[in-house]
Amino acid sequence: MLSQILIQGFLLSGLYGLLAVGFTMIFSVGRVLNLAFGANIMIGGYVYFALAQEAALPKLPSFIGAVLAGVAFGVVTYLILVRRFRDDPIAVEISTLILAVVMQALIVMIFSPAPRSMWPLLPGVAHIYGVAVSLNIVLATVVSWVVLGGLLVFVHKTHLGRAIRAVSMDPKGATISGIDPRQISLVTWGLSGALGAMAGVFLATYTQLDPGMWVFPLITAVAVVIVGGIGSIIGSLIAAHIIGFMETITTTVIAAELRGVFTMLLIIIVLLVVPKGLFGREEI
Amino acid sequence: MGVLVSLRWWLVFGVGMCLLPLVVSTGTLRILVFAQFLAIFAMSWDILSGRTGYISFGHPFLIGIAGYTTAMLTYHLGVPLYFSIPAAVVATMIGSIFFFIPALRTRGTYFAVVTLAFMEVLYHLMQVVQPKLTGGTRGLSGLPTIILGAVPNYYLSFGVMFVIGVGLWLLIRTRLGTALSTIRMDEDAARSSGLNTTKLKLFAFMLSAFVAGIGGALYTHYLGSIAPRGIFDISFLFSILIAALIGGAGTIVGPIMGAYFLTLLLEFLRPYLPGPERYLIYGAITLLAYYYAPKGFHNIFGLLWQRLGALGRRE
Repeated sequence: MLSQILIQGFLLSGLYGLLAVGFTMIFSVGRVLNLAFGANIMIGGYVYFALAQEAALPKLPSFIGAVLAGVAFGVVTYLILVRRFRDDPIAVEISTLILAVVMQALIVMIFSPAPRSMWPLLPGVAHIYGVAVSLNIVLATVVSWVVLGGLLVFVHKTHLGRAIRAVSMDPKGATISGIDPRQISLVTWGLSGALGAMAGVFLATYTQLDPGMWVFPLITAVAVVIVGGIGSIIGSLIAAHIIGFMETITTTVIAAELRGVFTMLLIIIVLLVVPKGLFGREEI
Repeated sequence: MGVLVSLRWWLVFGVGMCLLPLVVSTGTLRILVFAQFLAIFAMSWDILSGRTGYISFGHPFLIGIAGYTTAMLTYHLGVPLYFSIPAAVVATMIGSIFFFIPALRTRGTYFAVVTLAFMEVLYHLMQVVQPKLTGGTRGLSGLPTIILGAVPNYYLSFGVMFVIGVGLWLLIRTRLGTALSTIRMDEDAARSSGLNTTKLKLFAFMLSAFVAGIGGALYTHYLGSIAPRGIFDISFLFSILIAALIGGAGTIVGPIMGAYFLTLLLEFLRPYLPGPERYLIYGAITLLAYYYAPKGFHNIFGLLWQRLGALGRRE
């Protein structure tokens, strides 16, 4: 029981980390919540499904195709909606929420509202300390961590990454040092779209594809980000583990249906007690 | 004087809508009933979010409390409607305190997210906790109806909407209404000029919950059933939000226009696009409307009216 909780909690947390970091990057740079991030998740899952299962392409190109679709969607959202409502975060949130609902309608139109099941990325089952875990989930976790590690190196070691951090700390100061915040925002929206699409592929192989699949992951991403402190990558990773383990414990010990409830209660409590989140906002 | 002139327009609207059943089919009336319920919900959203700027993404939470209270009272205990509906309104107002507490500490985006979380919590709780009482995932059906037939229901929903609309519209014209909108403009400045913003917010939340409670309870009995999927649903939230926004937030008249527009738009598209494309086009039109006119139709009509007035004077 204990090893099951530890292993499954760890595996789930990796995915939540990917989800939350993709979501929080946009907030750090632009101070807006992108509610169309849910649509990114959905696009990732469905594009992979269309390429790998309906067009029967190999898995890796399909995965890359899904990620590119995510990048394109992120960039287009930024160019069309966010540039227009830049001064008004609430308008960005409302318009991205509408966009997510529109994308859901588009998915229903193309793929029908019925749920679709996805083949695992890697079939088979592994036994880790006596706990049976599907290789698919192990692969998803490993890829998530590689991507997250790469991202941390990117934002700390490369020029572009440092520019992203500079804009997230102080857009005016960054502009004075010769960085164009709009260009940086564009890059960030593309990156965030890629992470969202990746998380979408993994989520769809964990459960199934259905047009409403974006709501719960979006709320989870919001929860992780709020608990960790909006805009902090490290905070988000820690909070992803808090929430991942909490959900695993709820699922195994109490009831699977209640896992969302505790997450929501945690957001409410954190916002009331420490509105800045557990890890403030210092670094991106 | 200005208020009296504008009240005349309310009168024209009221008389016109009362005469409508003489000329249109009962099918159209049934559609208008939905528009009128949506208008009640959108006005409830508007008096809270449109006026004070505390954007609620969880309004179905309030509507759901009302719906479930009256549904469970009538279904399990056989409580008569004239008792269960007021009880539902009171329950909603008590429930709105949950909404109010985060508003003491958080603003803007954070507040919106907490309200969304409230909606999700209730969605899960209603399915899992005491499914015998709440009906679980399937919800409760076979609830008593208030009156039968398209025409009586049309008049009932219109009457309730009209009274709420005029009431709220007059309210936002008072000093109290102005005080509420100062919270949206600059809460700190409002507080430092001596307004008790906490009391004002509490008032806005209670009023919003009162309207949502009436609407939610009547809507549940109109449908005769309630289910978690239908109430705590992102597309239901979407309709409420969009009706208020594309009509014109903070104006009360705007949400009514928005609700009629959205409902009739969806019906107008039906013969041309019978399939799922309809929802795509519907969503895209609302996105475009919000994109080009984030202040809503109310603002556009207002500007047109001014232009016409200016033209009239010039000639």
